[in-house]
Amino acid sequence: MSVLGEMFENLLSRPITILYPKEKVPIPGAFRGRVAITDEKCIGCSKCSLVCPARAITMIDGPREVEFNGKTLTRKKRPQVKLYKCIRCGLCERHCPTGAIFLKNELSSSGTDGEIVVT
Amino acid sequence: MTDPMSGVIYIFIFPGFFFLFLYALFLAFLDRKIAARMQQRVGPPFFQPFADFIKMLGKEVIDPAGVDRVIFDAAPLVALAAVMTAYLYIPIVGNSPLAFQGDLVVVLYLMSLPTIVLFLLGWLSRNIFSAIGGIRSVTQLFIYEVPFFLALLTPALMAGTWSISEIVTWQQKNMWFVFLQPIGFIIALIGLQAKLERTPFDIPEAETEIVAGPWTELTGRRLAIMDLTIDVSFVVGSALVAAVFLGGPLIPWAVTPAWLEVVIGFFVFLVKTLAVLLILSSIKVATGRIRIDQLNDIGWKYIASASILQVGIVLVMNYLRVYA
Amino acid sequence: MPEVVVSIGPHHPALKEPVNFKVVVDGEKIVRLELDLSYNHRGVEKAAEQRDFIRVLPLMERVCGICSHAHSTAFAKGIEEIMQLEIPPRAQYIRTIIAELERMHSHLLWLGVAAHVIGFNTLFMWTWRDREAIQDTVEEMSGNRVHYGMNEVGGVRRDLTPAQVTAALERLPNLEERIKKYVDMVNKEETMLIRFRGVGKLSKEEALRYGTVGPTARASGVDYDIRKDDPYLAYADVPWNVVTDTNGDVYGRTRVRIGELWESIRIVRYCLENLPEGPIRVTAPRNAPTGEILSRYEAPRGELVHFIRTNGTDKVERVDIRTPTLANWTSVAMCLVNQNLADLPVIVAAIDPCLSCTSRITLLDNQNKKTGVMSLDELIWRNRSRDQGQERP
Repeated sequence: MSVLGEMFENLLSRPITILYPKEKVPIPGAFRGRVAITDEKCIGCSKCSLVCPARAITMIDGPREVEFNGKTLTRKKRPQVKLYKCIRCGLCERHCPTGAIFLKNELSSSGTDGEIVVT
Repeated sequence: MTDPMSGVIYIFIFPGFFFLFLYALFLAFLDRKIAARMQQRVGPPFFQPFADFIKMLGKEVIDPAGVDRVIFDAAPLVALAAVMTAYLYIPIVGNSPLAFQGDLVVVLYLMSLPTIVLFLLGWLSRNIFSAIGGIRSVTQLFIYEVPFFLALLTPALMAGTWSISEIVTWQQKNMWFVFLQPIGFIIALIGLQAKLERTPFDIPEAETEIVAGPWTELTGRRLAIMDLTIDVSFVVGSALVAAVFLGGPLIPWAVTPAWLEVVIGFFVFLVKTLAVLLILSSIKVATGRIRIDQLNDIGWKYIASASILQVGIVLVMNYLRVYA
Repeated sequence: MPEVVVSIGPHHPALKEPVNFKVVVDGEKIVRLELDLSYNHRGVEKAAEQRDFIRVLPLMERVCGICSHAHSTAFAKGIEEIMQLEIPPRAQYIRTIIAELERMHSHLLWLGVAAHVIGFNTLFMWTWRDREAIQDTVEEMSGNRVHYGMNEVGGVRRDLTPAQVTAALERLPNLEERIKKYVDMVNKEETMLIRFRGVGKLSKEEALRYGTVGPTARASGVDYDIRKDDPYLAYADVPWNVVTDTNGDVYGRTRVRIGELWESIRIVRYCLENLPEGPIRVTAPRNAPTGEILSRYEAPRGELVHFIRTNGTDKVERVDIRTPTLANWTSVAMCLVNQNLADLPVIVAAIDPCLSCTSRITLLDNQNKKTGVMSLDELIWRNRSRDQGQERP
């Protein structure tokens, strides 16, 4: 019966539950959320598509002049991420040499539509 | 009961069945809410038990293969009818107009019926979990029923009557039985908790072992009615304990006009049943389920002997004419 | 009463994972238990053989949701040993912090499940509430609540900022207070005492004979903890004690787990306060040399073993995972005999079973379109016939 004290304490205090649609949980700074790509930084090296464990990243045509380390490169390809296939492990962000692909600090929705892509 | 119309109103509207259903669902809500808040959860909104009831009435009724449909349909209704009848003899606003000598025994008998029905349902379900649950519920019945009966009959011994209404009147004149027979009061609460199959006595429906026990194969309206039966039993049980031990709806001094006394009595009844509810909910939250063999030990060794001790004390008090 | 077979699972409210118990009961007493484990074979080991060392770690994390860090660390540790990489101390400490936070949340989760199994839902709600604080801490550090993604071959992926360290340290006193309360509760609370004491008793000799690991073994007085016996990560530097108990029943296992909560919080505090400076990873080569390694790790449930064989490529040739639950099953089947049916969920829950991780093998008979399990005799027979170059008739 050692729980009695805390029980009545709880009865008189507010519940701990966060009532979701009304209140929102604060998203921590390090959160791994929706994947995003800064197109002007991407040099088209394909590293992200190689390390992606879910094979969610494919390289599509996207020729563009990119500034990198003070030099101008001409890239041929750019990544395209299947949003709902992405498991948000952050390996692409970790291996990207320019920081072009990264995980945003916002919730990524979930779904079954395989056609939704982030480019 | 001279005017037939007032009798009909008493039975069907207030404080009869209509009020009974509303109050039963309200108590079910309150029980869940209190438990939730004690666990720092939010708990259901107030209409949740009602919504559940309506929803389950509309759900498909599934007959397990080889089950006698007629009995399976009828059994929950019998249980509900039994506890509803029991309710009529318990004083809610003033004394019950249907009271007669011996209605205490009738009420106790009628309140045992849901457990028997649960056993029947478990036995009929042709399901191993239901069968084990049904056997457990009857085993449990044999353990708690004797102390529960003894605890509720000792006030009758002291008051010298077998009518609940007369016991209430006796308490109005003398003293509440909770002070005269504290052991009996505690045993009655424990017995009520066991009768309603709530933690720590939810052995027959232990979900982590035998799914839902006798309830496993109940679906749709059968489940709705059986659920309602337990909710109604809660009201009947707490009203019975409030009447027998806490002085029921009567207040010790006279109030004029008469209708005001009835209104005050009704609120006194509400407060007392809610107090019983709070105690029962606290027991539910503060404990876990015990095993049937442990219940057997505790029940026969301590609870039964305590209730016999209480009977002995009452006999001695009667002999000494403490309240004559 | 005649013997009745109660078939529990694979769908049952008490079991959150697919497993089938055929419990032979005589009245309320259990006579025998027959187990069928492999309902959830996911082919993780085979999948691991097809991914390089970068891509395999997220897969390893997904072997188990609760001990995701355990699996990825055990795997990364093995590969690093084959590659002969020296991991910087800061990475070791960060791995230790996450590992111990994971152990704490796993043990609190277990305490809640054990309480739920005996119908004590209040404790269930409270422990899971307190577990949120740990998960929030881990989320702040790693960015995720379940699959932390902290490990890579050669170190950790994320550094801890000073702000994260202070935030984590601030959460600890509150947790300590709660854990103190649970220590108090497990010794006093009547429901837990009467339901846990003397249930599922396992003597020290039996615990050794059936090869139990983790809290199950330690509750029977077996002083066996990989963190002490074969120190890895930062455990050699941190002052801490192995928690053992002499009760040997479910009560003892509860006490061991709660004691470990207390030790874990000490380890986390020490690691956070003495976090060494320096790099968090070294660059790992792409390919691993040929080799075989047995990587041991003390997961929350016990000793986790990863056997890894590499063949000079960037993929493993074979990885074999022995989860602690698999090691503990035999003891469950043994200590269930002559117990009450009502104690079955408690005893099963007491080893903290994690079934999907355990389902390593399933037998597929393509000719007869059947799946099933193999008995020991059949297994021996198969091995012999393979050695002799015979095919099954």
